[in-house]
Amino acid sequence: MNHHPAAWGQPLTAHQQFDMYSTNPMGMSAPRSAHSHGPVQNTQWPLVTGTSVIGIKYEGGVMLAADNLASYGSLARFRDIERLHALGTHTILGVAGDMSDFQYLKKELDGLLREEETLTLTDAHPPLSPNNLYTFLANLFYARRNKINPLWNACLVGGWDFKKDESFLGYVDLLGTTYTAPTLATGFGAHIAQPLLREAYEAKAGVDLEGRPGADGRLLTAEEAEAVIDDCMKVLYYRDARSINKYQVARVTKDGVSISESKSSETEWMYAEGLRGYGGQTQ
Amino acid sequence: MALFAASAQQEAVAAPIQHRFDPYEDNGGTILSIAGADFSVIAGDTRQSQGYNIQTRYARKVWQLTDKVVLATNGFAADGANFVKKVKQRLEWYENAHQKQMSIKSIARMIQTMLYAKRFFPYYVYNILGGIEEDGTGAVYSFDPVGSYEREACRAAGAAQSLIQPFLDNQIYFRNQTFPADQPKPIPGNLPLGTVLGLVIDSFTSATERHIEVGDGLEMYVVMAKGRAVDDLTSKGALPEGVVVEELGPLGEGGGERTFLVRRTLKRD
Amino acid sequence: MSIQEYNGGSVVAMVGKDCVAIACDLRLGNQATGIAMNFEKVFPVNDTLYYGLPGLATDVYTLREQLRFRVNMYRMKEEREITPETFTHLLSSTLYEKRFGPYFLEPVIAGIAPPTAANPNPQPYVSTLDSIGCITTPKDFAVAGTATDKLYGAAEGLWEPDLEPEDLFETISQTLLNAVDRDALSGWGAIVHVITKDKVITRTLRSRMD
Repeated sequence: MNHHPAAWGQPLTAHQQFDMYSTNPMGMSAPRSAHSHGPVQNTQWPLVTGTSVIGIKYEGGVMLAADNLASYGSLARFRDIERLHALGTHTILGVAGDMSDFQYLKKELDGLLREEETLTLTDAHPPLSPNNLYTFLANLFYARRNKINPLWNACLVGGWDFKKDESFLGYVDLLGTTYTAPTLATGFGAHIAQPLLREAYEAKAGVDLEGRPGADGRLLTAEEAEAVIDDCMKVLYYRDARSINKYQVARVTKDGVSISESKSSETEWMYAEGLRGYGGQTQ
Repeated sequence: MALFAASAQQEAVAAPIQHRFDPYEDNGGTILSIAGADFSVIAGDTRQSQGYNIQTRYARKVWQLTDKVVLATNGFAADGANFVKKVKQRLEWYENAHQKQMSIKSIARMIQTMLYAKRFFPYYVYNILGGIEEDGTGAVYSFDPVGSYEREACRAAGAAQSLIQPFLDNQIYFRNQTFPADQPKPIPGNLPLGTVLGLVIDSFTSATERHIEVGDGLEMYVVMAKGRAVDDLTSKGALPEGVVVEELGPLGEGGGERTFLVRRTLKRD
Repeated sequence: MSIQEYNGGSVVAMVGKDCVAIACDLRLGNQATGIAMNFEKVFPVNDTLYYGLPGLATDVYTLREQLRFRVNMYRMKEEREITPETFTHLLSSTLYEKRFGPYFLEPVIAGIAPPTAANPNPQPYVSTLDSIGCITTPKDFAVAGTATDKLYGAAEGLWEPDLEPEDLFETISQTLLNAVDRDALSGWGAIVHVITKDKVITRTLRSRMD
């Protein structure tokens, strides 16, 4: 693309129209059919996107992680985007998918929380719990999918539930699909990180009568949880082409939310001559 | 210029890959309900999946609606959850207006109306309603996504419907079974509770073996008619090893019917 | 609709105690239209070995004749009967010859080899192949055809180990009938063969005709 100021406002040549950042199909506008007499359809697609968010419950809290990249197709466009956002004092939101929809979400939720805060200050009005915020998000996402105008995101909500005196971890996406589990991951993380998270979690907590992990077992400590999160973020950086080696980890405990500074994994890119552990190799 | 013309031509020929938003998804899982003479069993597995990914090993598909009615939903999980929410809201309004809980046959008709109201943007949900009829008999109502419904003795729906329903035809409706001349063909819907729970467990363990979207956990809700003895469920040794029973308290005034939740594991692979 | 489902039909085979059974429905259809109710899909190779060919009817004839030829050649060269294991591999290589233009069939094989000096106590055997010859040899039962998933559900619920011939007959019959009754493309009668060491019991079953 020609970024020279002299070219601003000029119509693009056919060559310039070539999709040099390979955002196809994301950057394409819907082709208007000559035969269509129906209403204009505003089908949309994600444009600037964030990749996986991962989360795990541990003893006394819940931990979320997401990297700092917002991609434009295959272009690593924005390298210092924060995809973990605190909602009030005891909830954290981690968002994958379209970043402009995420910004809209942040604005909407922060507005809601500000309104609630005024009520809390003047009344015996309880603050919104993680579960309240999760339900709000689920309803918002489902309402938008019903309008065929979705918010193109997959979110994790982590928090501390004072009523149950335990941590909360839930997923909600652009279809309004919701579920909770002790370990969660969106997108590519569902393939790469989720098995590692489940393995670590179930090794300690075991499985209950309904195949539900760890309802009555011991949970990972904060240190153990962070170790497995770090490991997952490293593997995701190795294998996810839309990731970056710069991520943040958020924790929610009784004492509130904390989001870490950005950090990096130590990586190794040497020739793997001595590598063992794949396939049929036994030594 | 020729170079540019060629690329422009290519651009015109190669249509952009259509990426239309699809508002539906199939989240797998299976549900099943069987009626007895004075009880009803409504069951579902607890796996929720999307393609080859297991989203969670515990997601609820079976919901207690009133003291004598339980609803199982299967299909698109988001539609299911939101449909159940609306049903519960309508039931609450009914109870406030009439000072009583809605009967199962009225809930069934209400569900058909609610489903058909979205005939042209349907809830992608298969519903099975189980519970106790006003005459005290066990009842099962099954629905399609747009509200077509009927009362039956049993029904399976969801991912493993095609695996389970022929087995139920054989064991509940006695299809293809012959009986001696002096012994009348039994009437479907009269099997004892122990037999029914055995069939439900066998159905789900079989489906778990052969269907990847079924597994993790099994929840069986048992609704007992008013005054019915419950020792065939709660007494020691009444149920197989590894099965746990819990009584759920009444939601309303409590008309004498009792609801139990029976759980066990299914394979996780 | 796929070409494998053009004519409809299903086959199931089960292992019992010193016996095996194989059964099929009798429908031949043209998509949803029923054409014939005497279309057998299970054929004998010899006294202790049967196989079923659910799938495209025209390929049933072709492959059956092809196999008849190859088994006869085997018989003349070897001067002995083919065993179920060997027949499975013969069928597998026959199917794989057509790897890139396959027969639209999913064969099921059931038999007990006659005792020999090398193998004095042969075990009941069932196997199944996909349309290009990939072999599976289950310990319990094999199913194929348009009612595959219904057969899996019914068989998984009804089958148990070490059934005697009469019990195995009842089990495979109930499995097949209840499965094909829920399949629009299978049914219209059924045939069951129970193979023991010294005899084969063949019975024709009446069933729903809708």
